Amino acid sequence: MSIYSTRSNRLTGLLYLAPALAFVAAFTAWPLGQMLWVSLNSWSLITPPKFIGLNNFTKAFNDKQFWVSLGFTLKYTLLITPILMIGGYAIALLTVKNTPLRRFTRAVVFVPVVIGLGASSLLWYWLFSTDYGFVNRLLLDFGLIDKAVIWLGVDADRSNWAIIVSVVWKVLGFGMILFVAAIQAIPPEVSEAAMVDGASPWQRLTQVTLPLTLRTVLLVTLISVIGSLLAFDQFYIMTAGQPQNLTATSVFYVYLNSFPYLKLGYGAALSLILAVIILVFTIIQMLLTRRSHA
Amino acid sequence: MNLKKLTMGAVAMATLLAAMPMSAWAEDLQMWERSGGNAGMVDALVAAWNEKNPDRKIVLTYIPHTEMVPKLAQSIASGEVPDLMGLDLIYGPQFEAAGQLEDITSYFADDASIKTASPGHMKVSTYDGKLYGVPLYADVSALFWNKDLFKKAGLDPEVPPKSLAEIHDFAKKITGVEEGAYGYYLAGNCAGCNIFTFGPLIWASGGTIEPADAAAEPLTGDAVPKVLEWARMMHKEGLINPANQAENGETFHLQFGSGKVGMMGTGNFNITLAREQNPNMNFGITLLPGLEAGQTASFAGGDIVTVPKGSKRVADAVDFMKFILSDEVQVEVYAKMLNMTTRGDMVDNKYYAEEPLIKDVAKAIDIGVTPYTLKFFELINSPQGPWLQMLQRVYYTDDPIDTIMADAKQQMKDIAAE
Repeated sequence: MSIYSTRSNRLTGLLYLAPALAFVAAFTAWPLGQMLWVSLNSWSLITPPKFIGLNNFTKAFNDKQFWVSLGFTLKYTLLITPILMIGGYAIALLTVKNTPLRRFTRAVVFVPVVIGLGASSLLWYWLFSTDYGFVNRLLLDFGLIDKAVIWLGVDADRSNWAIIVSVVWKVLGFGMILFVAAIQAIPPEVSEAAMVDGASPWQRLTQVTLPLTLRTVLLVTLISVIGSLLAFDQFYIMTAGQPQNLTATSVFYVYLNSFPYLKLGYGAALSLILAVIILVFTIIQMLLTRRSHA
Repeated sequence: MNLKKLTMGAVAMATLLAAMPMSAWAEDLQMWERSGGNAGMVDALVAAWNEKNPDRKIVLTYIPHTEMVPKLAQSIASGEVPDLMGLDLIYGPQFEAAGQLEDITSYFADDASIKTASPGHMKVSTYDGKLYGVPLYADVSALFWNKDLFKKAGLDPEVPPKSLAEIHDFAKKITGVEEGAYGYYLAGNCAGCNIFTFGPLIWASGGTIEPADAAAEPLTGDAVPKVLEWARMMHKEGLINPANQAENGETFHLQFGSGKVGMMGTGNFNITLAREQNPNMNFGITLLPGLEAGQTASFAGGDIVTVPKGSKRVADAVDFMKFILSDEVQVEVYAKMLNMTTRGDMVDNKYYAEEPLIKDVAKAIDIGVTPYTLKFFELINSPQGPWLQMLQRVYYTDDPIDTIMADAKQQMKDIAAE
C-alpha cells in the first residue's frame, strides 16, 4: 500500500502544494477564466459588457486582417528561429572554452539581451533611418548601394528582414549562453573518447555534442518560437504594421482591438485563439523533448 | 525602550500617517492628464491655479496615454474618480456618449468666455446639446514655408501659396534647387500626421473625411478625389522626398527644421523646434489652403478638460475650467509660454505681438476642425485604419482613385456600423 494513499498524507501533500496552487489559481486560472468570459462579451470598458456568445470568435475567423497578421507572424517566426538557433549555437561552439578573449566575446554578444526590446527597437529604427541612419551611411561609404535604401515601412519583406537583424542582435546572446552552459556540461571524457576513436570535429559535433545538448536546443527553440509568435514591440515601433498592414503581427492586432479600438471582448477572443496556437507549438515541443529523453 | 512604549509609538505614528494624507486629500482636487501631451502647458496651468487657490490646490497625476481609458473605467467602477480629467480631445465623444462625464452645461450658461473657445474643442466637448468639457490646450496645423528655399528658387519669399495648384507650382521650382531639397512634405506612414496636415487640405476644399455615425456617408464632396489626385501628382512628379514613405511620426517634427523642405503642413509646436534646429533659417506660416484660392482649414488638436461622472467636486472643477478660459490665464500663461490661446479672441496679446509667427499660426484656431466620431482611432488614427491605407494607395500605387475611395468608404462604413 502506498504511503500516499492515506488521508493524512494526502492532506499533507496538498498543504505543501497549496501555495503553488493558490498562486496558479490567482494569477493564471482566474485571469484565464476572466478572459474567456470577456471574450464572450461586447465590452468597450466604458460601457457595460453585453453577452454575445461566440460572436467574437465567429468574427475572428472571418477577419481577413487577423489571418494576414497571423500569417505574417508565422513567416517571421519561421525566418528568425533558424537564425537564432544556428547563430547562437555557432557562437556558443566558438566561445565555449573559458579563455579571457572568449569570455569577453560572450559578454559582448550577451550585452544586448539585457536591453529592453522597446529601447533596442528604437535604436534600430534610427540606425535604419533612410536619411540619418548608420546602416545606409555604411553601405553607401562601402559602395554597396548607390542611393539610400528605405528599410522600414515600404516593402514588407525588406522591413521584415531589417527587424530580424535588429532582433537577432538583441536576443542571439540568450540562446548562446544556454548553449554554452549545455556544451560545457558534457563530460570532457566523452569528447576525448570520440577523439581517441578518430572522430573528426564535424563528427564530434553531430554525433556527440548535438545529441547531448538536444534538450537545450529544443528548449531554446521553444522560447524563440513563443517569443516570435508574441512579437509586438519591434513591429509597433519600427513599422507600425506598414506597409498596408503587411507587417502587423498578431499581438499588435490584439493590442489595437483591445485598447485603442476599445473592443475588449474581441481582443480577448483573438488572444485566446493565439494562445491555442502557441499551446499547439508547446505540445509539439514537449513531445519532441520526451522522445529525445527516451 | 520597553514593548509598551514601542507599541504606543507605532500606533501614534500610524495614526499620524493615516491622518495627514486624508486631510490633504480632502482639500485637494485630483486631476489626471494623459502623458504624451503638452505636459509643460498643463503643469503651468495647474501651477497658476494652485498659486491663486491655496485652499483647493490641484494634485496632477499623469497617466500613460494608452492606459487612460482602462484606468478611468476602473476608477468609475470603483467610485474613486479624479475631479478633473484631461482627455485627448478625440476621445471626448466616446466618453460623453457612454455617460461617463458630468454635464456642465448649466455652469457655463452665462459665461461669455466659452463663446470664443476653440470651435474644434467645443464641438467634441458637446454631446446631444450638452457641454462636457472645455479646451485644456490646443495644437493647430498650418502651412510652414521656407523663405530661403523660396528665394533660391526665384520665388517671392514673402508670398506663400494660396491654393493647392500654387503649392504644386512652387514645389516644382523648389525641388532640387539645392541638394536634397524637396518642394513639399507628406508623411507616408503616419495616420495622425496626415489627418493633422492632409485632412485640412480636404476640408478647406469642401470635402469631408470621417462619418459622424453609422448612418453618415464618409469621404463626401467632389473635392476629395481632386485633392487625392493632387497628392498623387505631387508624388509622381518627385516633388516629395521618397524617403517620406517610411515616416511613421517619429521624425515628423524634425523635417521642416532640416531646411530641406520648401513647404510643409505642420503644427504650432514646430516654430520653436525649427528655430532650435536651424537658427538661421527664415520661414513663414500661413493657413493650409484648398483647391481654390481663399479656401483654408486647420486641424484643431490637443486636449479637453472634463469632469468624470461621480466627482464630488464638480463646482471646484468648473472653477478651474473658467480659470483657464479667463483673459488673464489666456494671456499670462498660454500666450506667455508661446502656446496657443484656447480662445480665438485672445490672439491679439502682447506676447504674440512680439512673435509674429505665433500670431500667424494662431489664426488657425478659429477655423480649426476636429473630426467628430465615436471611433476616431479606428477610423483615422490607427496605423491599420482605412484613412492611412487609402492615402498610402493614393501616394504610392497606381490604383484608380475611385476604387481606392470606394474601398476606404466601405471600410469606414463597416467600422462606423459596428
